[in-house]
Amino acid sequence: MRLSLVVHVTGIVVRVFGLMFLAPLALALADGDYRDAWGFTLSLALIVAVGHLMRGAGGRAAEDAVESMRRVEGLAVVSATWLLIAGFSGIPYMWNGLGPIDATFEAMSGLTTTGATVFRDFSLYGRSVFFWRAMTNWLGGMGVIALFVAVLPRLAIGGRELFFAEASGPDDEKVAPKIRRTAALLWRLYAVLTLLQIIALVLTGMPLFDSVCNTFGTIAAAGFSPHPLSIAGYQNPAAEWVIIVFMFLAGANFALQYRALARRDWRIFADDEELRAYAGVVAIATIVLVIAIRTSVGSGDLFRTALFQVLSIITTTGFASVDFNLWNDQAKAVLLGLMFIGGCAGSAAGGPKVVRHLLLARFTLQELRRSLHPRAILPVKLGGRVVPAPIMQGVIVFFLFYMLTFAVCSVIVILLGADLVTGISATAATLGNVGPGFNLVGPMANFADLHPISRIVLTLAMWIGRLEVITVLVILRPEAWRAGRWSAAGPGAAT
Amino acid sequence: MRIVIVGGGQIGSALARTLAPDHEVVVVDHDRTVADVFSALDVEFIVGSGTNEEVLGRAGIDSAQFFVACTGLDEVNIVACAIANRIGSPETICLVSRADFVPGSHGHLEQFGIDRVLWPEAQLAADIEQVVSAPGAIDAEVFAGGGIRLLEYKLEAGSPLTSAPLGKLRLPRGALIAAVKRGARLFVPRGATELAVGDKIIIMGTPEAMKEVEGIVNPSYGRGRMRVTIIGGGDVGLQLAERLEQCATVDLRIMERDPGRGEILAARLTRTLVLNGDGTDLEFLESENVGQSDVLVCVIDNDERNLLASLLGRQLGVPKIVTRVGRPNNLRLFERVGIDVALSARGAAVASILHQITGGTSRLLAVLEHGEARVLELTVSKDFVAKPLKGIGTPEDAIVGAILRDGGAIVPRGDDRIEPGDRILVFSTGAAAGRVQAYFSGTGN
Repeated sequence: MRLSLVVHVTGIVVRVFGLMFLAPLALALADGDYRDAWGFTLSLALIVAVGHLMRGAGGRAAEDAVESMRRVEGLAVVSATWLLIAGFSGIPYMWNGLGPIDATFEAMSGLTTTGATVFRDFSLYGRSVFFWRAMTNWLGGMGVIALFVAVLPRLAIGGRELFFAEASGPDDEKVAPKIRRTAALLWRLYAVLTLLQIIALVLTGMPLFDSVCNTFGTIAAAGFSPHPLSIAGYQNPAAEWVIIVFMFLAGANFALQYRALARRDWRIFADDEELRAYAGVVAIATIVLVIAIRTSVGSGDLFRTALFQVLSIITTTGFASVDFNLWNDQAKAVLLGLMFIGGCAGSAAGGPKVVRHLLLARFTLQELRRSLHPRAILPVKLGGRVVPAPIMQGVIVFFLFYMLTFAVCSVIVILLGADLVTGISATAATLGNVGPGFNLVGPMANFADLHPISRIVLTLAMWIGRLEVITVLVILRPEAWRAGRWSAAGPGAAT
Repeated sequence: MRIVIVGGGQIGSALARTLAPDHEVVVVDHDRTVADVFSALDVEFIVGSGTNEEVLGRAGIDSAQFFVACTGLDEVNIVACAIANRIGSPETICLVSRADFVPGSHGHLEQFGIDRVLWPEAQLAADIEQVVSAPGAIDAEVFAGGGIRLLEYKLEAGSPLTSAPLGKLRLPRGALIAAVKRGARLFVPRGATELAVGDKIIIMGTPEAMKEVEGIVNPSYGRGRMRVTIIGGGDVGLQLAERLEQCATVDLRIMERDPGRGEILAARLTRTLVLNGDGTDLEFLESENVGQSDVLVCVIDNDERNLLASLLGRQLGVPKIVTRVGRPNNLRLFERVGIDVALSARGAAVASILHQITGGTSRLLAVLEHGEARVLELTVSKDFVAKPLKGIGTPEDAIVGAILRDGGAIVPRGDDRIEPGDRILVFSTGAAAGRVQAYFSGTGN
């Protein structure tokens, strides 16, 4: 690993990320909220300065080496970038009085599209802060790196490793032969969906500002709402239906949606096994949930509420149209189970992803068959194609590490004073980038009451969960560093 | 007639052997060692590449009527046909071994000057599928786009068909017994013929009628799921499996010795259980309960191992065994040692090419009983005088199996008429085929 290269590329991304502060800054100025404007200006100046320094630190050799970036360096850049920009995104919250742990938690929760909050009193903050919070959601949904790969010419070639290191799901799927064009097309689709949802929400009567913020939270499958009571605060069934539709889309593979749109061929949806499984799980979970909550929700709202909550959790959005913390344990068990499924690969959703469950289920079935026919050749297939053994192993290892991370983090949170349900659901909700859990961290509550170390652990859980465990854990291996050196010059560098 | 054959392999030599007495045959092959095979024949052998213009020129391609490219390489065959077509104007026949070159909707091989593409393995797979999917039958064919089926049965003791002379049997309307094979003799039966146990009978008819026939011949046959085991995952095995997978009531498994090939099979096939093992290993066959299969198909690319696998299958009690035979000479031997159906891809391809070269306007639809019987499709001459079937004196050892008229297929009875211009399917013994063609292309007298 060539550290100067990692620092250089991270610097490029971090510096450009600073420009994102211009949007909330403009809003703060328009609102005449000069205190927040100063906060955003400071954040902007700091992040651009740091990014610029990092960019220059590697020198000429690092600049020349960008095109020869290797996978492990790509992983390191992505992991480091996410950690850094989460830190910088928290500066505006610190400006508003949050401690560094809480500010970083809130920023990481935003960028990883988790939607878990430590805000106790929503009335303390200005509109620009809520806008920034929603914007971190939106940027994190499609992937910060993917955006910059699309727009930064410096990353035209080296960006390949970055793109796949950040993308969710086990397969390397592209919609165009060039990685920059792929990233650009997906971001364009993402922007179009965003625009459509804003329009739809405004038509249901939701105020424009809330429409924009809630759209950012929906389409990124993130779940930050400017309303302290989440979507339940609007009491607007039409808006809930709009959000149901767009949550479903946010949890479905964007590359698939792009292809279906580009070719005007809707059978692409019907033929995709992951999408079918995703829709199937949503349907079954909704039916079970309807049965579980039939006594606690009025019959007029029953189906919509159940569907909303199922989609909100499976896509790891984390919006609440009611306080589901008041539901019975049967309903909570359904929702907790959905946290461990997640959306489709290549979507904005977090969690382990439907396709991994599908592959694991098929792998298990094939292994059962193998005990009947020891000499049989039993490949795992998806969409009629054989899944290569390395990908299958990757899926199994992913689950092992996912559950291990889950177990370790929940034990830590519980040992630090949380009750069992809070500890388990808080960890599942942050590792899966869902947002709210149950009890102390329910949808109408917040994470601020957890032990400070718990909040740090859960911040890391969000980071690990968003980057799909392996990305982070690989660069923690000593081997990744043992061969590390600062200089990017020499063998391996493009000359 | 001058015939140029590129490729001196098994197909090339079989063609040369049959054609040499009556035609001017030139064989082109770059391998000097295969020349020995041809030195005993009255053919010209040219050492050189079939894709070389000068070599083809020396072979006299400009005056040849037929050009057959049958080397082992598809691309070479295609290029050879294209060059031959550039130089002269022979009718070109190109053998291929991959799906890539079989004309699809775009008919892309015509622009290479190829008149006919022949894929022997695909034909064999299709033939085996017919046999496998007709329970109890030892041979099966379909003609006229599915409008006419042909089945061959071996009569077991107690068959209702042996109870009376043919004239008294109540066969379903739309089906007729075209031939009987008793011992070494194959003949077209008459009303007075009495069938005996051990006879093989060939029945033609419409699909509905043949369904009834199947019920009569095999009253005991279970209607449940059929278990098929294929040994050998080569081109034929894979294609057969792909075809049989379409049929929902077939449980399929395929055995392949090479693990790498097994991976390919497992990737291509969806419902088939792919087993990595040697089909000639008795222990392996027993551990996978091959004896429980309804049909065992052996399509290994090696006659000796195929025979061994088939005999092991018989030993384990498989009721029906279908085997591929590589060398046409082995066909009879295979059936003599107790294999129900032995089929040869090359044999069928050679017969088909021979017919195209020597058969004139009629089309050879099927070769049965290893060349002893044929099904021909031919157009009745305009000069033919229309008359009822029972009035026409068709050549001995031939029978009109079906009349294709106005898009439908009629299985004729004595009072049906054959009109000038009809397409007819004629079943004939090998010896009578020439006379049948002459008869229907004349006036019928």
